[in-house]
Amino acid sequence: MQKHRRRVVITGKGAITPLGHNVDQLYDAQVHGRSGIAMIRNFDASTFPTKFAAEVKDFRLSDYFPDADRWRHAGPNTRFALVAAKEALADADMPSSLDRSRFGVYLGNGDGSNDFPNLISAIARATQAESRANPSVFFEAALSTFEAGHEYELEMHTTAGRLAQLFDLQGPNYTCQTACAASSQAVGEAVEMIRADDADIMLSGGAHSMIHPFGVTGFNLLTALSTHNDEPVKASRPFDLNRDGFVLGEGAGMVVLEELEHAKRRGAKIYGEMTGYGTTADAYRVTDSHPDGRGAIACIRMALEDSGLSPTDIGYINAHGTSTQVNDRVETLAIKNVFGEQAYKIPVSSNKSMMGHLISAAGVAELIVSIMCLQKHVLPPTINYETPDPECDLDYIPNVAREKRVDHILSNSFGFGGQNISLIVSRFRD
Amino acid sequence: MARSFPRVVITGLGAITPIGNDSASIWQALVEGRSGIAPIQAFDASKLPSRIGGEIHDFTPRKYLNRADPRENVALKGLKMMARTIQLALVASKLAMSDAGAAPGSIEPSRFGLEFGATMISIEVDDLVAASKVSSNGQPGQVDLVTWGKEGLPSIEPLWMLKFLPNMPACHISILHDAQGPSNTITEGEVAGLMAIGEAVRILRRGQADFFLTGAADSKLSLLSIARHELFLPLTRRNEEPKRAVRPFDQSRDGTAIGEGTTVFAVETLEHAQKRGATIHAEILGFGSAFDTRRDGQGMARAMRAALRQADLAPGDIDFVSAHGLGSIEFDQIEAKAIADVFGSGPDAPAVFGSKGWTGYLGAASGPVELAFALMAMRHGQLPPTLNCDHPDPACPIRVHHAGMRPVTKPYFLKLGYTDLGQCAALVVRRWDG
Repeated sequence: MQKHRRRVVITGKGAITPLGHNVDQLYDAQVHGRSGIAMIRNFDASTFPTKFAAEVKDFRLSDYFPDADRWRHAGPNTRFALVAAKEALADADMPSSLDRSRFGVYLGNGDGSNDFPNLISAIARATQAESRANPSVFFEAALSTFEAGHEYELEMHTTAGRLAQLFDLQGPNYTCQTACAASSQAVGEAVEMIRADDADIMLSGGAHSMIHPFGVTGFNLLTALSTHNDEPVKASRPFDLNRDGFVLGEGAGMVVLEELEHAKRRGAKIYGEMTGYGTTADAYRVTDSHPDGRGAIACIRMALEDSGLSPTDIGYINAHGTSTQVNDRVETLAIKNVFGEQAYKIPVSSNKSMMGHLISAAGVAELIVSIMCLQKHVLPPTINYETPDPECDLDYIPNVAREKRVDHILSNSFGFGGQNISLIVSRFRD
Repeated sequence: MARSFPRVVITGLGAITPIGNDSASIWQALVEGRSGIAPIQAFDASKLPSRIGGEIHDFTPRKYLNRADPRENVALKGLKMMARTIQLALVASKLAMSDAGAAPGSIEPSRFGLEFGATMISIEVDDLVAASKVSSNGQPGQVDLVTWGKEGLPSIEPLWMLKFLPNMPACHISILHDAQGPSNTITEGEVAGLMAIGEAVRILRRGQADFFLTGAADSKLSLLSIARHELFLPLTRRNEEPKRAVRPFDQSRDGTAIGEGTTVFAVETLEHAQKRGATIHAEILGFGSAFDTRRDGQGMARAMRAALRQADLAPGDIDFVSAHGLGSIEFDQIEAKAIADVFGSGPDAPAVFGSKGWTGYLGAASGPVELAFALMAMRHGQLPPTLNCDHPDPACPIRVHHAGMRPVTKPYFLKLGYTDLGQCAALVVRRWDG
């Protein structure tokens, strides 16, 4: 292990995802290979290039909070975050006598979605006579139709702020946004804040939904999404030769991170220990990952070094595995580069094959699945794995879950713009 | 004092603000008391309740980039896919590198980190004109999604979304300077930039990098962004006297003004700075952050105390506090209460300096730009007055410095920032006397 430093353990977890409203439902669907992907219900996507997504189903905030109306202006990010945080804090079973000033929040949160109907109609109105928007017409339309509370809640710091207000968390309160790596980065930096003695407990994770007209428009324009409209449940096929893009998901995941001695003193359940964290940038292209996986390799190495573990200690890799051509090839390359021959002996799977890509919330949701693997000794499969890709030749746990007891799990998250995060979670040993 | 972690110093800064596009012009404006707030010129703002703002003038990103340099040429070609916020950050990052005397390629890429602050970067409405016109008749809220999907969506530029993703400033900057180390974008409202600097310090101390570019850029002067902020930000109605409009801690303050700006710092370990023979501007001694659950200033006070504790200083060591000083009735009072709680209100309490009278509200860039002003004051040994605080509000029990230049005698200052929801952060800085 590393030189003397404060150790950080996980004492609570919560998740609301396309695979259910809590952690048990998420993990159960994962190990049974059940997909949460279907035609989009949030809005009419019938003429979009991609018409399906992994949505959170049957969700009403009032089922969880009788006074849900107080968050009526909040968007899905905050709504999902509230539910996941509530589950995580109940799971952690915190005493009421805690020093609240030592209890912080660190989220990787997405930005909210602009008011699509009112914004687009305001632009149309402001451009009836001209090809560029007439500011006066635009302002009149926008100021008379935009809802102030809703506009405010689009800002990314509001989610972490709402959690701190509700649960009286007075410690450091951070939000980061590094695209698909954000919630993993949030967890990594939250661990570092506890190690650095800036806090004893951090509620950390992320929330995001981009299943809205602007989100699907943006990703469709980038041709990043699968267009497998005929058979949505088959669309997310990480590492399969015929993968054609990722599938948007939505939701939130939260973990309670706690300094080890603090957790022991209060007799907390300990689900695992956060042992390694790596963060690097590709510094290559805004649109593509580095073709040799330069940033990803350095990132995994940094996490291993941080944990003091050797590559042979890693028993399972929870891959970023987006189901895009480039990501899955480069991630495979990076794993082989770091682990060498050992790479072929480590099971690797992508939770996104079932729950889609939760964007900012993806990393923490996958970390939570990994934590469950430490408890239950069953590793989730990569579903829809039918045709091997010669460039992706690792053991991806094809289609059927596998029983295996592992002690150390690597979880990767790689974001747009070349943002790389790797986390290592380990079975707790005193 | 026993230090178990590396010392962290500031060795460069690049700033583009409503009062100047380089350090010399900015200092000149601060000395002359020349506010950068004026009637908005970027577009016809006559229909807005608050029509004044802190605009940057004469900003031509192209001028800062050299086509002959392959990396700068990539940035040049990418400019059209960057919102103004991203362009500002990119250019400021280059100015910071040059101020730090860090030649391209001279910092080991794997030890070169980025920490930027951002708020929501706004969509530019002119990018959606064709798609909107075909899908909506302009009646409020009426959009035909079927037409949008079929005809609207394909009319939009393919890379459209990358123009405003919050992490894009850091991504473009990573490519420009080949920064392959830790990289994060903090999105904590108007305290984001300050918190990004705090995180850079934390990472340098734990040894995962030697050198950081850190700070933020933010421009709210686009049609959508300003419309949104008119709805939820407390904005002044003093449209007739823009230079006197934003009045931190003054009795007759009535809100802030929208603005734009950027500051990016080169921050590194002392050892790294000395090894490369850098000129050191200042040392960062402490950082603290907290949440004001009750919005009563207790969180701000805790953040300041944490920063002082980390710096191993007593409140009496601090020469001046660079406040957030939004210029709103409510928040200035809360902030003053917090500062008084930590530093007292007596004759020995530090002077308080608020700089939004010059610039207005700069979103994520508020902290970094105001930190740059404070560093200049410390370097020149003179603290400019809090502009427009003609009659300090007795409900703000602090010693606002509001007239003339005041000598800076002690070598330490504290920078405070917060969000309207309650996130707050404080940074303690020491003058570098060698």
